[in-house]
Amino acid sequence: MNSFLTRYSSTSPEADIRKAKELFDEDGDVSDVMWGSASGFGNLASGVPMFKLPSVPDPTSFLRMHTDDHADPSCRIKIKHGTTTLAFRFQGGVIVAVDSRATAGSYVASGTVKKVIEINPYLLGTMAGGAADCQYWETYLGIQCRLHELRNRERISVAAASKYLSNLVYSYKGMGLSMGTMICGWDKTVRIPEMNRDCTEAIRANCRLQGPAIFYVDSDGSRLKGDLFSVGSGSTFAYGVLDQGYRWDLTDAEAQELGRRSIYAAGHRDAFSGNTVNLYHVKQDGWQFIGNYDVSKLHYEGPGDVPGAPGTGYGYDLRVAGRTSSDAPQSEGQA
Amino acid sequence: MDISFALTGKGYVIVAADTVAARSIVKMKVDEDKIKVLSPHLLMAYSGEPGDTVQFAEYVERNIRLYQIRNTHALRPPSAASWIRRTLADSLRSRKPYAVNLLVGGYDTSTHNPHLYWIDYLGTMSEVPFAAHGYGAYFALSLLDRYHDPEASVEEGLATLKRCIDEVAKRLVVNPEKYKVKIVDKDGVREVEI
Amino acid sequence: MSRSYDRALTVFSPDGHLFQVEYALEAVRKGTCAVGVVGKDVVVLGVEKKSVLQLQDPRTVRKVAMLDDHVCLAFAGLTADGRVLIDKARIECQSHRLTVEDPVTVEYITRHIAGIQQRYTQSGGVRPFGVSTLIVGFDPHDVKPRLYQTEPGGIYSAWKANAIGRSSKTVREFLEKNHKDGMSRDDTIKLTVKSLLEVVQTGAKNIEISVMESYGKITSLDLAQIEAIVAEIEREKEAEAERKRSRLAATAAGQAAMSQAAGGSGQ
Repeated sequence: MNSFLTRYSSTSPEADIRKAKELFDEDGDVSDVMWGSASGFGNLASGVPMFKLPSVPDPTSFLRMHTDDHADPSCRIKIKHGTTTLAFRFQGGVIVAVDSRATAGSYVASGTVKKVIEINPYLLGTMAGGAADCQYWETYLGIQCRLHELRNRERISVAAASKYLSNLVYSYKGMGLSMGTMICGWDKTVRIPEMNRDCTEAIRANCRLQGPAIFYVDSDGSRLKGDLFSVGSGSTFAYGVLDQGYRWDLTDAEAQELGRRSIYAAGHRDAFSGNTVNLYHVKQDGWQFIGNYDVSKLHYEGPGDVPGAPGTGYGYDLRVAGRTSSDAPQSEGQA
Repeated sequence: MDISFALTGKGYVIVAADTVAARSIVKMKVDEDKIKVLSPHLLMAYSGEPGDTVQFAEYVERNIRLYQIRNTHALRPPSAASWIRRTLADSLRSRKPYAVNLLVGGYDTSTHNPHLYWIDYLGTMSEVPFAAHGYGAYFALSLLDRYHDPEASVEEGLATLKRCIDEVAKRLVVNPEKYKVKIVDKDGVREVEI
Repeated sequence: MSRSYDRALTVFSPDGHLFQVEYALEAVRKGTCAVGVVGKDVVVLGVEKKSVLQLQDPRTVRKVAMLDDHVCLAFAGLTADGRVLIDKARIECQSHRLTVEDPVTVEYITRHIAGIQQRYTQSGGVRPFGVSTLIVGFDPHDVKPRLYQTEPGGIYSAWKANAIGRSSKTVREFLEKNHKDGMSRDDTIKLTVKSLLEVVQTGAKNIEISVMESYGKITSLDLAQIEAIVAEIEREKEAEAERKRSRLAATAAGQAAMSQAAGGSGQ
């Protein structure tokens, strides 16, 4: 009763504190972020919207209790998990390839999921782990990238975009986010202006050419720069094909074929991946959607008439048709 | 699974760390640099919880740099190590502590002494002639007790480091294969192949 | 009644002025002069140093500050306010590196500083920064030298050459007359010194020059170098004056001869 009264009275000391807090909050709004500073990322915490968390002592274990189908197969919420995604850098840009199956436990929830999120014409994000988490935060990232562009009159670098996402998921570390994503893009290529052709070596070194870049970002807060990544339950299968076929100087056609073939391999071997392959190619002037390929069709018929295709199906039986390991003596066979 | 070693010698500190970034059973990256150059004469190898490590290391890096810009001179190794330990200890008492183990090695240009500090995620700090974190410590510490020489030349120091790396390769189940090795001495920081 | 307009900062005067901001500009006009000049691939900052007292350590009085490896700032106005602003800017430089993995661009840090200055004209219980700043540097991955200015009100703008502080108007007019695009390193430095000499009577010992030649490459000229440049300028001025005098004498002589000749012919 008393507490109820003080809560709504406007003269008590509590009310004064409350007012002060409100004022303080108001002042807090006028942070550097608002003033165009810090590219909107001034502080790690600011600029990130905060969600209401379940009012339990330990939100993480609460979430796990209701979502972890390994520990409890009868849990109420089954987060969509199984996936294969890959991305690699090569001489001609970045190849991004993903499957399209969404599973919730052993149930195939969808076979036509878009696991590549088109953040803007120069940036792609892939989706592995919680579908909702990836979709929401990568869309949110897209908003922030556009704001960066408007504030700084310059495209955001892949490094900065991925770091923004990384800092964001890191601020939720331990609260149940589940994401494994690759941020892929082409960084603005800097050219030395015509008038400065005779500039010193030091200046030239500062103008290093940029280009294709990939960052792996996950919900642990890890962020790795690299040439080749694969994420998801089928990643080991994709790596098997990808690592063996990968070279820096692949042609565009070879690279696209390698991406397609690797996702097929994972779709074939991993029960939680499959249905179709979505293939993207990022070049200097932005990303390009190459195509959607049915995994079963790839298995029996191949990708059809596309650059780099082998002409037949990817399936083992087709590849080794007519070949045998039998070592029977020739004469006996002839007799 | 991170492994890091460090040892002092006559006027230098060698810091080495493996270069693997793993997630579950997969090596995501095999050329990750886990040694930060904090100032012209200061190195820090970090290992521990993924995410925390890099976040903490970059936070330290920027603050040490800020100090240098504000005061023209960089913090000397003992002060830098104390500040880093304190930062880690403060975070330990916060809602979400950084779980990071560190080896801080530096060369004090005013006293001409190399310094090496072993710091763990609980904020324990101790100045030592040699140190190791991770599974490598189980093999290397006894080895270094036997072979470390405070007056060793850089070549001898590297040879001792090689012993540690070889021992881990021989006995540890999963071998990291590649290490990044950095040396700090009166001339600053340099990287060496091993 | 009118008195109240310049007390509460957030209140406009009836004719649309913010008096406190204008007083801050006045403080800037009282401060020592600072000049920035952009050359072909160099940018130079020159400041007028106050004479230090006999027992004072001159190293503790600095008006040019590094914000990061590639950005430098000079200010005119209240030194104490400048120091606070510089520290905020330095933190932002490191924070920017931490969040986007790239060093700040010169425009970005200028905008940040101007943003702070603006904020202090629009909230209660605070006083504007009594400083104008000149910010010079190179953007990462770029070769173009840059020069920006900020004012207490939070205005910022880019320049080829500009001056702030005491007699800045004189110096700016001098720069407008003498600045050329694509000046060499030596010409840029010379123009900076020359323009400062317009207002600094005491010469080299009260001038401080910082030269930024490319990303992260910055040098401060020592007294001997500045003295040499000042001496050279003096010599040139001398020569110029000499030429003028002899030209004047020549024309006078010519006129005299002419009038003599005219007189002669008339005779």
